[in-house]
Amino acid sequence: MSVESLIGRSLPRLEVREKLTGRAQYTADLYRPGMLHGALVGSPHAHARIVSYDVRAARAAPGVRCVLTGDDFGDHRMGAFIKDEHAIAKGKVRYVGEPVVAIAAETEEQARAAALLVEVRYEELPAILTPEDALAPGAALVHEDLASYFKVFEAVCGGNVCSRTELAEGDLAQGWRESDLVVESEYRTPAQAHVSLEPCGALAEVDPAGRVTLWSANQSVFRIQASVCESLGLPMSRLRCLTPRVGAGFGNKMEAHIQPIVVQLALATGRPVKLILSREEDFEIVRTRHPFQIRVKTGVRNDGTFVAREVEVVADGGAYADDSPGVLGYSLLMARGPYRIPHTRCRGTLVYTNKLRAGAFRGFGNPQVSFATETQIDEIAARLGIDPVEIRRKNALGTDDRWFCGQRLGSIGLAECIAVAERESGWADRAKLASAPGKRRGLGFACTAHISGLLGTGAIVRLLEDGSVVLNTGAVDIGQGSDTVLTQICADALKIPLDRVSIASPDTDGSPYNWGTTASRVTYTTGRAVFAAAREVERQIKTHAAELLECAESDLELRPGGVVGIKGVPGKELPFVAISARAHWRKGGPIIGTNSWVFDQPTFDPKRAVAIGLPFPQIGVYSFGALCVEVEVDEITGKVDARRAWTVADVGRAINRASVEGQLEGAFAQGLGFALVEEVVWDGPRLANPTLMDYKVPTTLEVPYELHAHIVESPDPDGPFGAKGVGEIGINVVAAAVANAVAAATGVRLRQLPMTPERVLRGVLASQPGG
Amino acid sequence: MSALKQVHFPKTPEEAARLLARGDGVRCLAGGASLVAMMNLDLVDPDELVSLAEVAELKGIASLPDGGLRIGAMTRHRELETEARLAGPFAVLREAAGKVANPPVRNMGTIGGVVALADPAADYPSALVAADAVIELASERGRRRVPAREFFVGLYATALAPAEIVSAILLPPAAAGVGLYDKLARVAGDHAIVSVALAVTRRPRGDLGVGLAIGGCGLTPVHRAEADVLLAAGALGDAAARRAGELLAAAADPLNDVRASADYRRLAIPRMVTRAVARAREELGRLG
Repeated sequence: MSVESLIGRSLPRLEVREKLTGRAQYTADLYRPGMLHGALVGSPHAHARIVSYDVRAARAAPGVRCVLTGDDFGDHRMGAFIKDEHAIAKGKVRYVGEPVVAIAAETEEQARAAALLVEVRYEELPAILTPEDALAPGAALVHEDLASYFKVFEAVCGGNVCSRTELAEGDLAQGWRESDLVVESEYRTPAQAHVSLEPCGALAEVDPAGRVTLWSANQSVFRIQASVCESLGLPMSRLRCLTPRVGAGFGNKMEAHIQPIVVQLALATGRPVKLILSREEDFEIVRTRHPFQIRVKTGVRNDGTFVAREVEVVADGGAYADDSPGVLGYSLLMARGPYRIPHTRCRGTLVYTNKLRAGAFRGFGNPQVSFATETQIDEIAARLGIDPVEIRRKNALGTDDRWFCGQRLGSIGLAECIAVAERESGWADRAKLASAPGKRRGLGFACTAHISGLLGTGAIVRLLEDGSVVLNTGAVDIGQGSDTVLTQICADALKIPLDRVSIASPDTDGSPYNWGTTASRVTYTTGRAVFAAAREVERQIKTHAAELLECAESDLELRPGGVVGIKGVPGKELPFVAISARAHWRKGGPIIGTNSWVFDQPTFDPKRAVAIGLPFPQIGVYSFGALCVEVEVDEITGKVDARRAWTVADVGRAINRASVEGQLEGAFAQGLGFALVEEVVWDGPRLANPTLMDYKVPTTLEVPYELHAHIVESPDPDGPFGAKGVGEIGINVVAAAVANAVAAATGVRLRQLPMTPERVLRGVLASQPGG
Repeated sequence: MSALKQVHFPKTPEEAARLLARGDGVRCLAGGASLVAMMNLDLVDPDELVSLAEVAELKGIASLPDGGLRIGAMTRHRELETEARLAGPFAVLREAAGKVANPPVRNMGTIGGVVALADPAADYPSALVAADAVIELASERGRRRVPAREFFVGLYATALAPAEIVSAILLPPAAAGVGLYDKLARVAGDHAIVSVALAVTRRPRGDLGVGLAIGGCGLTPVHRAEADVLLAAGALGDAAARRAGELLAAAADPLNDVRASADYRRLAIPRMVTRAVARAREELGRLG
């Protein structure tokens, strides 16, 4: 029996075979007897009152079994932070494409054909399409009843302002006085689409007792259960949520999409109903990354010491709050970066507009503010004549420092991340980079941090009669590999082979609560619960073994292969099967280890900081990262190509190295899209590019072949085996590092994303003499 | 709901053309790379399809007795991308084929399909105009030939008559020379923001024949005979290249779209033309 630890190995994904052979079942693959197919009618207007519906022709169309309008839904609202959203438009529409009517028919074609027959009369209202529109005096209100909506935090809101947040530490006025140089700039970042391989979809079925089972593409069965029940006025006990395989989320599937509508169709027809969004609908009606306008002002001493920073953010949240207050607040918490800046104040305004809602997207506001702050640091370094890496190292947080607003840091591998990226990239020799004729090369550097801990989670580990184990956490594996990682943690904790642990699929009936696969939190939070639940199983095993072997529990140890024995006495041991049989049939009862906990470290220390409108009072546990990118800029067209990259992250402890590297590589690719190519464009109130023909993401030919992921391990004292999160950290500063590399190559400083050939070329031409 | 009732499999171009005459709802199916995607998006909804898959004459690339090439309309992009006979000035077509979409599409799509569709964003039209290729068309009335420079007349509009199909692309006898295709796109496989197709022939007497066309910047490939003459007369010099590029930039009618602004395209055309011409000049120099 091998005694090699399962932790830190690059084990293949548990489900790799089913995925590679095409047998994995996604929501679209599911079928139930008697199943109907759903279709949606979207609003043609950005902002309008719904005057009346005429659904007679649609109801009479072939195969149609049900047509639902807003009138068929009760006045119930959902929302993670502000309850402002009905399951379907009711009374008003607030963005083009917003579902107004839902249809169920015998076939998908019949449902979609009937959708074309629906007539809705609207009374158009002025469309609010930009934050400036929203904040103008006398602007039409996107939500007239905002004041009366239920909010889960102390939201500062009014008019078209969805929420305002302010975080501050130190004394800004003093900070500016102590600064030798103050640099201030404005930045803009665009809406980005998630483009998960699998579009959103759901299938709902009502059982004979009237209870609903809902399968859907999601990042949290529990958030879906809560949102559907909230928006339909159902008791949570009446809805069971399940998750088949999920083809990525990136934040898009964290909150509800069409699940409430599909459940209502199933309740109305009494038959199973499935609705899978087309790619175009997935672009138009789910959510995007927030467009940000960011002003950053930083004061430094001549020796490069950071002294003061002021950040102002205006975020366009679209028509509904969704996760936006959280994104705004988190972006402000990240706006000081992983540095000491004693005097800092970050303020943000989140506005409602008549556009598709913005919401969670890998990085959760961090990529937007980091583009501004990490490029401004390079500007400061250039003004002071200090090496960009050196100025970061000089100001980097250390073990005794705290995060902005006062939270303590359990482990910090930032200095090592910087050193690895610097060494591996050949940073010191960057002046020797040779450029081909007509091209210019440059290296860019940036640093980042990201949280891993927040909210509630649990785990149940059950010892089966034969001594093998079932692990149940309720965490959805959206393709990032958490099933494998949690199984590794469980198996290693009990010293049993991986194949002796099976992991249960998330199920709101049987799984312990898990807030969701989001915020880079599953390995850290759920991994901790799994480890603790496994320890509880170990304790119960030892209680039995102590009785059977007639020794003290403290004399016992787990041995590889599912065996418990007396320390130092090789022959004195029992297999788990003997323990489990006794527990099941004779004494004590089946062995079940459970653990649940909620992250309870306060985000801010009231003795050190001021926080107004803070949407998340308890988050923390920081991973750190550094990134170096080499770009090549085409002098003729302005096109930027990333040629090489070194992405480094302190993840505490890599449970599965290949998966950690995969996260860093994938995040780099998605960040490269944000940096250079991706932008959701509105043509007036309507999306101009809601197809993969017009919205492009980087291909394998854009992602550099030389993309090097490096892992730094600075163990967290509480993380499972020391692990921290890795899901998002790799995306945060890709745009900033690329922008810094473009500046190094061309001398041009771009403050707007994406850095298209047009923006780069115009920058280069404007900077040339006579340009 | 799809109206498709029937798929025909004719054996000759003439039979295919006759089937197309059955009505407006009858469409010609070549590789399907565009048509099937458009059907999936409900942009077209044909009643009947005339598949060219079994028309033997449309397949493959044949060397002609005069030294020219006859490229069957059903030749896949991948075949053209790897065709060694597309040399000298006709390398422009080989390079363009290699820049079409992505490998799965290149394994499926055909040159005849692209030519007949005449999507202004496609890669072949400007390459065929630069190469001064000839499009052979087939109908029940027989065959006719239309120069590529006259074939593309507008947005999805060509010299094709009703019930007529593209049967082949004809290239004149290969001469010594250089051909190249430079494509600027947001990512690999996207439609061009600007593409530059250039075919340069060194004639037996030593003078140059030049074909230069711009793609992605109007409803049809942008081509001006004056620009070709300028480049030939100026021996592919930088000054001539700049003037030719400016001429084509002025002649172009680009759009503002999600790929780039019209202004940027006009700015990029002379710059990309100058680079392409310089590359051609160097390669020509290496030919001796």
